[in-house]
Amino acid sequence: MIKLQSNDNHQIDVEKPVAECSLLIKNMLEDLGEAAVGQTIPIPNVTEPVLRKVIEWCEHHRHDPPSTNEDESDNRKKTTDIDEWDQKFMQVDQEMLFEIILASNYLDIKPLLDVGCKTVANMIKGKSPEEIRKTFNITNDFTPDEEEQIRRENEWAEDR
Amino acid sequence: MGAVRMPPAPNREDIDATWNYLQAGITKIMINLQDGMDMTTYMGIYTAVHNFCTSQKAVGLGTSGAVGQAHRGAHLLGEDLYRKLKEYLNEHLAGLYQQSKAHADEALLSFYIREWDRYTIAAKYIHHLFRYLNRHWVKREMDEGKKNTYDVYTLHLYQWRTEFFTKVHEKVMSAVLKLVEKQRNGETIEHGQIKQVVESFVSLGLDEHDASKSTLDIYRFHFEKPFLAATEKFYQAESKQFVSENSVVEYMKKAEARLNEEEERVRMYLHNDIAQPLKKTCNKSLIADHSALLRDEFQVLLDNDREDDMARMYNLLIRIPDGLDPLRQKFEAHVRNAGLAAVTKVALDAEKLEPKVYVEALLETHTRYQGLVKRAFTDEPDFTRSLDNACREFVNRNDICKAGSSKSPELLAKYTDVLLRKSGAGVEEAELDATLTQIMTVFKYIEDKDVFQKFYSRMLARRLVHSNSSSDDAETSMISKLKEACGFEYTNKLQRMFQDMQISKDLNTGFREHLKEDLDKQQPLDSSYSILGTSFWPLTAPNTTFNPPPEIQADLDGFSLFYKKKHNGRKLTWLWQLCKGEVKTGYCKASKTPYTFQVNVYQMAILLMFNDKDAQSYEDILSVTQLTNEVLDSALGILCKAKVLLMKPDGDKPAPGKTFHLNYDFKSKKIRVNLNVGTKTEQKQEEADTNKTIEEDRQLVLQSAIVRIMKARKKMKHSQLVSECISQIKSRFVPKVGDIKKCIEILLDKEYLERLDDDELGYLA
Repeated sequence: MIKLQSNDNHQIDVEKPVAECSLLIKNMLEDLGEAAVGQTIPIPNVTEPVLRKVIEWCEHHRHDPPSTNEDESDNRKKTTDIDEWDQKFMQVDQEMLFEIILASNYLDIKPLLDVGCKTVANMIKGKSPEEIRKTFNITNDFTPDEEEQIRRENEWAEDR
Repeated sequence: MGAVRMPPAPNREDIDATWNYLQAGITKIMINLQDGMDMTTYMGIYTAVHNFCTSQKAVGLGTSGAVGQAHRGAHLLGEDLYRKLKEYLNEHLAGLYQQSKAHADEALLSFYIREWDRYTIAAKYIHHLFRYLNRHWVKREMDEGKKNTYDVYTLHLYQWRTEFFTKVHEKVMSAVLKLVEKQRNGETIEHGQIKQVVESFVSLGLDEHDASKSTLDIYRFHFEKPFLAATEKFYQAESKQFVSENSVVEYMKKAEARLNEEEERVRMYLHNDIAQPLKKTCNKSLIADHSALLRDEFQVLLDNDREDDMARMYNLLIRIPDGLDPLRQKFEAHVRNAGLAAVTKVALDAEKLEPKVYVEALLETHTRYQGLVKRAFTDEPDFTRSLDNACREFVNRNDICKAGSSKSPELLAKYTDVLLRKSGAGVEEAELDATLTQIMTVFKYIEDKDVFQKFYSRMLARRLVHSNSSSDDAETSMISKLKEACGFEYTNKLQRMFQDMQISKDLNTGFREHLKEDLDKQQPLDSSYSILGTSFWPLTAPNTTFNPPPEIQADLDGFSLFYKKKHNGRKLTWLWQLCKGEVKTGYCKASKTPYTFQVNVYQMAILLMFNDKDAQSYEDILSVTQLTNEVLDSALGILCKAKVLLMKPDGDKPAPGKTFHLNYDFKSKKIRVNLNVGTKTEQKQEEADTNKTIEEDRQLVLQSAIVRIMKARKKMKHSQLVSECISQIKSRFVPKVGDIKKCIEILLDKEYLERLDDDELGYLA
């Protein structure tokens, strides 16, 4: 068992293989070796609810084959398909979604980071700028001229 | 150096505060890792790197500005950190360099290794702690093809190489080389240190173009090169001195030991990459540089049968290019001379030379040096070829063969005959076959295989006709051995001779059956006939006229009738000179049991005449038997010599005017008396005949080869035809160019061939 401590000082116990979904934790345990046994690992950048959510994901995916290479994700990049469990898992409010993405980036959990980013990408896909602004609660701070210029520059990317 | 105390966690946007914090952490790792590291610090450092790299306003604040900066995609922070880390490493390495100056030799090695270990372990930690930087900023820089940006671990190695290694490697290497020299001089050393230096040098081989690949360049240039140079120098000096103070054999042992030692050295503590070049270097200074000396010794070793030392020399010289050629030449010459000497020894009295003695002399030399090739030269094919060349030389051209190379095959065939003939001394079947195999060994070297064939078939014919072959199995075995060596054609006739004997056996049985049916025609003769195909048997019609005695003639007529009924149109020619039989005496007073004489048919005809009269005149015998004087003289001579007949008046030779009387007082120790003995002159005559037919046959073989070649090619240059002819014939004998030319002339005269322009010959159908 590994003890993790969130930045709001909550302790969460997880099994070692689950915790090692995080490359940060995995590398650290390797580096410190004996010295790390029994110690609580402080996770200064993540709050308890987010950490619990991340651990939930790791528990579910503990038996996934380890993604061997960082470059190997090239294929995955091209698709925004997400498996069913992950879709359900990501049905959280926007704030939590972003927290999960940040935490997975920090903890170095590449597959979770990918799922998070794909979820966001799916939220954007097929939407007009106006709809996107609405979705993410973004104020339009462009002048109409600026907006026109950007549209011209990106014309090539529009659907025909 | 006291324990490093960590400053408080920095504000994420403050580069100075962040670096201060990181530097404290890195120093702890670089200097004090042995004191252990707590998790808080570890996580603190990682978090500080992460926080610094994500501190940009654009992150987490959502909207504005993002589009404006988006030309290169999101801007990633980290360059400052990377630069500062590099500066820190340079400073650390400069410090190490200063410290290193205080050390030399083994102390320097210890220092280098200790610091290298400490540095690379730290590098691994820092690599992990700066992983966020690696994953984002470094990755982006490298993806964009920036030179001189490496992941954090590689950065450590790279800086070590440029800031420290370049300044100390010569000193380190000289320490390594001193240590190795000590070991080569027999001292015990801590070779683990060298192994670690090797590993360090290898690690520093970074590919400038692709940091994920490593090369051996650094190691090869800074380690291998000086190492090989030192090795060469050491062994050059050592071997030079050793050779001047010791014998060559001692030197070979030394070199052998040194070569093994160096191989062991590679296994113990060097990189495998050096194995080949090191071997090459050692081979050069230990062997190639002294190869002339070694080779000079070879003759001495050969002369003294120093097998182990020859093996040693072989194993040394095989390591250098073209090292063995001179040995093979010497070996070949030596074997040839040994063979010639062995022949000369037995050839003192060439006239009385026993075939067995001669063949055994040849074999003895071959066996001995074949053993040497096997034991000392690992049966290497080129040495075997040298052995074969030498054997071919001394088998075909030696003291015995002075008159001509046909003497060797003749003696070999005679020895084979001795072996295969029924003899008093029973030879074991297995032993006989082993000896026949040895015969084949010599046979392989015989150039005039046609001569062997001639003699062999004549002697086989004699064995078969006189049925004194020791065993059919041995005969068959020998024929199949010859067939294996020379092909079907070579043994075809031999096999046919065998078949004829089998057929004759059946024929005789048939004849007996036939006679039983005619009971009233009771034959006084217990006869057996052999029917031999004229073209397969090397036999000629008798050289005398002969009138067989009536007893024989009657049986003969019966058989002829019987045979012609079966095979109409075949002509039977009686080879009287090969016929023999037994006659029983009833007149001798000296013995109660009658004597039996084994005689040839001529003698038999003479003796039967004495059934009518006790005395016969030379003239009467001559007219009754119709034999020529020569043959009659020889037959009578033997009978007189054995005292079966008494010649009156007494004289040296039977001649006209003499009378022959039956000797009633004949005495002999044996009951069976063999009178069918050839004389020396007859044997000589036969040998001469055989040799003569060889020359005639060769002419035919050459002519038919020329015709065959020309029929296929239609047109050919004269010189080409000659060489083609030689290559076709040489498996049977080595033709002389003069003979071939003579045959071409004959064929031109007979208009099988025509002369064309430009030295060409054409085939006339």
